[in-house]
Amino acid sequence: MFLAIKEIKREKLRYGLIILMIFLISYLIFILSALATGLASENTQALESWNAQKVILNINANVSMSQSILTKSDLKKDALTKDEALVGQIPVVVKNSKRPQISAQFIGIKKEQFIYHDQELIAGRRAKKNNEVTVDQAFKTKGYQLGDKLALNGSAKKYRIVGFIKNAKINIAPIIYGTLQSWKKLRQGMPTLRASAIVSRNPDYKYNYQNCKTYPIDQFIKKLPGYTAQNMTFELMIGFLYVISLIIIAVFLYILTMQKMHNYAVMRAQGIPSSTLVKATISQALILVLAGLIIGLIATMITIKVLPAAVPISFTPKIILTGTIGLLVTAIIGSLIPVRSILKVDPAQAIGE
Amino acid sequence: MAIIELKNVQKVYGTGAAQVVALKNINFKASLGEVVLIMGPSGAGKSTFLTIAGSLQKPTAGKVIVGSRDIAHISTRESDRLRLTQLGFVLQAYNLVPFLKIKEQFELVNKVKKEGNIGAAKLQELLKQLGISSLIDKYPNELSGGQQQRAAIARALYANPQILLADEPTASLDSENVAEVGQLFKKLAKDYHKAILLVTHDPRLEQYADHIYEMMDGKIKQKS
Ligand SMILES: Nc1ncnc2c1ncn2[C@@H]1O[C@H](COP(=O)(O)OP(=O)(O)OP(=O)(O)O)[C@@H](O)[C@H]1O
Ligand SMILES: [Mg+2]
Repeated sequence: MFLAIKEIKREKLRYGLIILMIFLISYLIFILSALATGLASENTQALESWNAQKVILNINANVSMSQSILTKSDLKKDALTKDEALVGQIPVVVKNSKRPQISAQFIGIKKEQFIYHDQELIAGRRAKKNNEVTVDQAFKTKGYQLGDKLALNGSAKKYRIVGFIKNAKINIAPIIYGTLQSWKKLRQGMPTLRASAIVSRNPDYKYNYQNCKTYPIDQFIKKLPGYTAQNMTFELMIGFLYVISLIIIAVFLYILTMQKMHNYAVMRAQGIPSSTLVKATISQALILVLAGLIIGLIATMITIKVLPAAVPISFTPKIILTGTIGLLVTAIIGSLIPVRSILKVDPAQAIGE
Repeated sequence: MAIIELKNVQKVYGTGAAQVVALKNINFKASLGEVVLIMGPSGAGKSTFLTIAGSLQKPTAGKVIVGSRDIAHISTRESDRLRLTQLGFVLQAYNLVPFLKIKEQFELVNKVKKEGNIGAAKLQELLKQLGISSLIDKYPNELSGGQQQRAAIARALYANPQILLADEPTASLDSENVAEVGQLFKKLAKDYHKAILLVTHDPRLEQYADHIYEMMDGKIKQKS
């Protein structure tokens, strides 16, 4: 530690640049991971807020809620408890003469069921009548206000915003929560139509009557349009980023150590054990990476604060943990590579310059 | 009683056609309180001699006795320990760690060797004697060649070794400074009771030596 810190103090510029590099790399990793997580969560936010475990859909709907139709006869034998809710989903285009047009997902729910009660309001109240809706906070950031009247898919009927809700997105679109009645109207289906799906918070729930099929939530999420492809792209990107930054940092630490071989020879000649030098090298790498990481973390947090709310970004503890551990392991690997050279330093080199 | 003794030491670098016999049948001894000069032209084997006497390298054959112990075949760890405790090096500017202030050079010794160092009071005295008390907050490259030299001597003596080895200690000094350093070595040998081995081809140092050895083509001969 003594040697590691003294050397950094003496060579501020050199080590400053290395910290800068590690900071930039960690910043890149954190921001990209947070963006990827943010985008991924816009697919599933609502499902998470419902704490959904099982989704019952029409067997012929290709695991898509907006394509699924459950009729009266399909639901003849349903036994809904407080953990199940009927949901009707339909994509809608929202129009209001004074506000920007928005593509959204209309979700029809029932007042007696848990989704209605679990809505996390950030303003206003829950919808009580068929012409009232609560909408995702994205509407608010786009300038919509309580009391605004919305035309959905060009409907003559207007729906009034009575509340804004936190984290209500599905398929990367903001949700409009209304009643199942309104959903039926928008859907313009036959009168036997009941809902798109049953959502259950109970992991053991099952209902496979007639056209109904029960899907575990993971399977449902995987089938969300574009979700798997999008996540794979991001995972690959971030995976490559990790591997490449690992190599870059390791190479830098290696070069750094090799440049110090003469100092090592001097200290070895003085009888300083090689273990002391190895410890100094590793602790120095850890100090550099930790410093870079901490600055990276702070910069990421500031960036997220400053970014417009419309940018989907989610800086989770998981990202911080993976990034931190990943870079620390990198530092250790990078400083371990030249250890062999340190152990082999010939103290006689210090003489005969 | 000799504190360091080399008996029939041979050193061969390389093998086959590239083979160089740098030391041939070297016999040498030095006692505490003495300054011993090893002189000779370039390529004579002076540095090789010093690295073997200082346990930085192993001889190909022969015995190197420090105290009463043959160090010709000790382990790396034992040889580290030996250099840390019993042998001090003065190698031009190069035995100061460049990123440590002069006072931190001593701290480093404290970190790896907790006991047997000369202690703060003695160090103050030594620094005063060397005329570098006011320089301890500077880095080596902020000192002149002669100051670095003396800082290196202080560093070497701090661990309180019995034997001090110096390679070309006057290489970058003018005559005035040579006299100063020569007197200093002589005084240190007497006051601190050390054996001081100076490898040099500087004849100006001869008057400060108790014994002089002459090296030539890997062979050594005692001149006085
Ligand atoms: N590591 C080595 N490998 C091979 N040969 C070496 C090595 N070190 C020294 N030699 C050879 O050993 C001989 C003695 O070298 P040494 O460095 O001991 O001479 P020196 O007396 O210190 O010379 P100088 O006054 O120029 O420093 C030379 O012929 C040199 O080429
Ligand atoms: Mg030499």
